[in-house]
Amino acid sequence: MEKTRLWLMYPAKLITRPIIHELGHKFAVTTSIRQASVNEEVGIVSLELSGERGETKRAIAWLEELGVKVEPVEINTIEG
Amino acid sequence: MPKKPWFSNLKCRECGHLYEKEAIHICEFDFGPLEAAYDYEAIRGTLTRELIESRPQTMWRYRELLPIDGEPTVGTQVGFTPLVKADRLARKLGIKELWIKNDSVNYPTLSFKDRVVSVALSRARELGFEVVACASTGNLANSVAANAANAGLKSYVLIPSNLEQGKVLGSLVYGTNVIGIKGPYDQVNRLCSEIAGQYGWGFVNVNLRPYYAEGSKTMGFEIAEQLGWKLPRHTVACMASGSLLTKIHKAYKEFIDLGIVAKSDFSIHGAQASGCSPISTAFKAGTDIVKPVQNPDTIAKSLAIGTPADGYYAIRSMRETGGSCEDCTDEEIVDGIKLLAEYAGIFAETAGGVTVACAKKLIESGKIPKEEAAVLCITGHGLKTQEAIIGKVGEPRVIGASLREFEDLMRDDSERALGNIFNQAGL
Repeated sequence: MEKTRLWLMYPAKLITRPIIHELGHKFAVTTSIRQASVNEEVGIVSLELSGERGETKRAIAWLEELGVKVEPVEINTIEG
Repeated sequence: MPKKPWFSNLKCRECGHLYEKEAIHICEFDFGPLEAAYDYEAIRGTLTRELIESRPQTMWRYRELLPIDGEPTVGTQVGFTPLVKADRLARKLGIKELWIKNDSVNYPTLSFKDRVVSVALSRARELGFEVVACASTGNLANSVAANAANAGLKSYVLIPSNLEQGKVLGSLVYGTNVIGIKGPYDQVNRLCSEIAGQYGWGFVNVNLRPYYAEGSKTMGFEIAEQLGWKLPRHTVACMASGSLLTKIHKAYKEFIDLGIVAKSDFSIHGAQASGCSPISTAFKAGTDIVKPVQNPDTIAKSLAIGTPADGYYAIRSMRETGGSCEDCTDEEIVDGIKLLAEYAGIFAETAGGVTVACAKKLIESGKIPKEEAAVLCITGHGLKTQEAIIGKVGEPRVIGASLREFEDLMRDDSERALGNIFNQAGL
């Protein structure tokens, strides 16, 4: 069991969809929301995912397919 | 060397939870960023202008306000770059007083990143790391490679595999391990964070980030000292993650709180490239939610961070100080580079062009009033981004090795100058 800490950024069209609820049902991962900010243009959620490594990767791939931008909490890992 | 008490903890910027001074950077509760906290009461009784002035002219003369326990061991020559009074540029931009904080001549790699890296690597040694690393597209990689080489630390520099050759060479020359990573930027980013978590390396901008980021404060300390122990009315800084701007703000506040400078009004303004301006866009929209830029497109590559980690805090700093924010096109960036070179004799990289171009707009719009004084923070040398101005600054005029040809050329110049005078006089 691994824990992965992520920032999720939703585009406007996905803001009203209960994506984290769906994620918890679709994959064998446990979700824990730590922070969230939402306006009409963007939704930003900090999320901890616990699960097997492969399952977590599949869950992230599903999010990205939907159009959610997924970043490690260490955003800006690459700098100028 | 006995341990000093000044640097006390790491602290979450969101919830204030305190942590031990380890190689960690994220709050376990809310994932907020950690930053260094100090025992200001102890520092107040120790750090004075006289003590600072008695020390060597490097960024370490403010060491009580930097997050290490002992004495610095890496980058001990870094900092105290010139603060240049730029009278010709001031007249050109139409402002009463203008200063350039010139980190394009910072030692050893000609960018302000030497400040942050020297703190990160000094702390890395204290924490027992034998390998240090970073993921970067330019200045940070150069600085980690150079400073690690000088300190005898093993280093790894991770870069996107399609990076320009010139930037790769600027790291390879120091004997570091350069690893090119294939794939889209987001995937490279995620891999780097996984490596940082698994290999036990000191990643300067990941697990050492709270230490690294504090190095930027020294730019603010130096500006205040070099202005004769007072704060500039206006400061303009370029923004990638937004960290530099927030740390200049922190530096000014610390100097006021410690009584090292008198309390006075100051405003900090941010500058971004229009091709990647998530912070500027949010600021102008009146929100503090920074919407990511998916595909940055600007010649100011060192500022092309679509998801700025400190964007929220940079907006807060600008609003708190009555500052403002601007962004500029690629063409305006080149004009900014040329203005700084032709009117102040300073050759800046594209990020410097952004700072000058945005300062020009802020002055024209009255957000920086013309009768006040401003400092522009220039963060890197133009030799690092020469490709941005090739073909845009003219060509040399070639003549034969003959005095007559030279005289013909001089005559042309004189006639052109005379023509300009007539034109200006409307004749």
